[in-house]
Amino acid sequence: MASANMKDIKRRIKSVKSTMQITKAMELVASSKFRKAKEKAESAKLFFDALYDTMWEITAENSTFDSLYFSGREVKTVMFVVIAGDRGLAGGYNANVLKLAQRKINELKGSCDVVIIPIGKKAVEYFTKRGYRVVARYENIAENIRMNSAREIADKIMAAFRNGNTDRVEVIYTDYVSPLSQEAKSRSVIPLEKPSAEIKKNVQTTYEPSPEQLFDIIMPQYIAGVIYGSVSDSFASEQAARRTAMENASDNAEEMIGDLSLLYNRARQATITQEITEIVSGASSQE
Amino acid sequence: MASFRLQIITPDRIFYDDEAERLIVRTTDGEMGVLARHENFAGALPSGPIKIMKDGQYRVAALSGGVLKVSAEKTTIIADAVEWADEIDIEWANRSAEEAREKMKQKESDKEMRYAELKLKRALNRINVHSGNYK
Repeated sequence: MASANMKDIKRRIKSVKSTMQITKAMELVASSKFRKAKEKAESAKLFFDALYDTMWEITAENSTFDSLYFSGREVKTVMFVVIAGDRGLAGGYNANVLKLAQRKINELKGSCDVVIIPIGKKAVEYFTKRGYRVVARYENIAENIRMNSAREIADKIMAAFRNGNTDRVEVIYTDYVSPLSQEAKSRSVIPLEKPSAEIKKNVQTTYEPSPEQLFDIIMPQYIAGVIYGSVSDSFASEQAARRTAMENASDNAEEMIGDLSLLYNRARQATITQEITEIVSGASSQE
Repeated sequence: MASFRLQIITPDRIFYDDEAERLIVRTTDGEMGVLARHENFAGALPSGPIKIMKDGQYRVAALSGGVLKVSAEKTTIIADAVEWADEIDIEWANRSAEEAREKMKQKESDKEMRYAELKLKRALNRINVHSGNYK
């Protein structure tokens, strides 16, 4: 019995060990990807902030300024751009962002229509499986996102807004706070809040072309910036979450191997003790 | 020569954040120079070359679509991409131009045409800047 037990434990140790090799490897891959992703997310943030400031300066410096993209029309359809990962095994990363999206959708139930643009395989799977109206889908773009692909998504969003197919657009993504903390968040994209009269600045600025035209040129860039920033932020969060999850898994595996080794040694000792007892009692019966 | 603070920001890096003596860009209305104490200005920049003078030396870079904002405190360019002439991956630019030309031949839709045209402009701008046409 004891030797069968020993074999069993040995097999389990082996299996846990091979799992640990995988989680260790994934941890290493995630942490190297994370470093790059973090840098990218940080510079994307600077870019986005600069874009945002410039856009507001234009609206603040022009008292008569108005745009299609300011709030004012009745909201009949809301578009959610949901950014999740292309892969699983990242702790609560995918679950958290999809949960937030689902909650936002449920809040709107009955009052207006919902359309979805999922980014990342996990988000695509989630929303197509549940029969939501998916107007465009993007997979495997998060890791190497470039301004061009963000621009393409922004064009889709703006076309839907201009054609009246959607009246409000929100991005649901994961904000990278720190290596240990990532938070699912939603960010309103359009319409923009109309700047209030108080913040209007009295600055003489020459515009080329007109403020309205310039605003229309910046707008796609701004939305592309939101997409680009949110995707980079989410990707950094994903890698950080995966690294933490895999670190925990590796630690657990190590602990399990320790426990199992102890069990194995006990079983081995029990076998030896039993064998000695058998030999001794066999010998004594010969006397 | 008096200098001014110039910041050029792209999504993946801060391309330039330093004093500059002169900046020459191409706006939608034509070439324009910025010196210290320039009037407040905001304008769109299509893909084109930019020249920056620092310590009396010009450096040329290729800019792909952006916005220029000049104010008393600083001058900012926010662009999709900017590369110094010597950073440009010329093979990639050539390939990109080729792809865009192919795409334009197919004449799929207006939108595709527009994308292809912009892509070709970016690629040609890179090729021109790389070959030193704007020294």
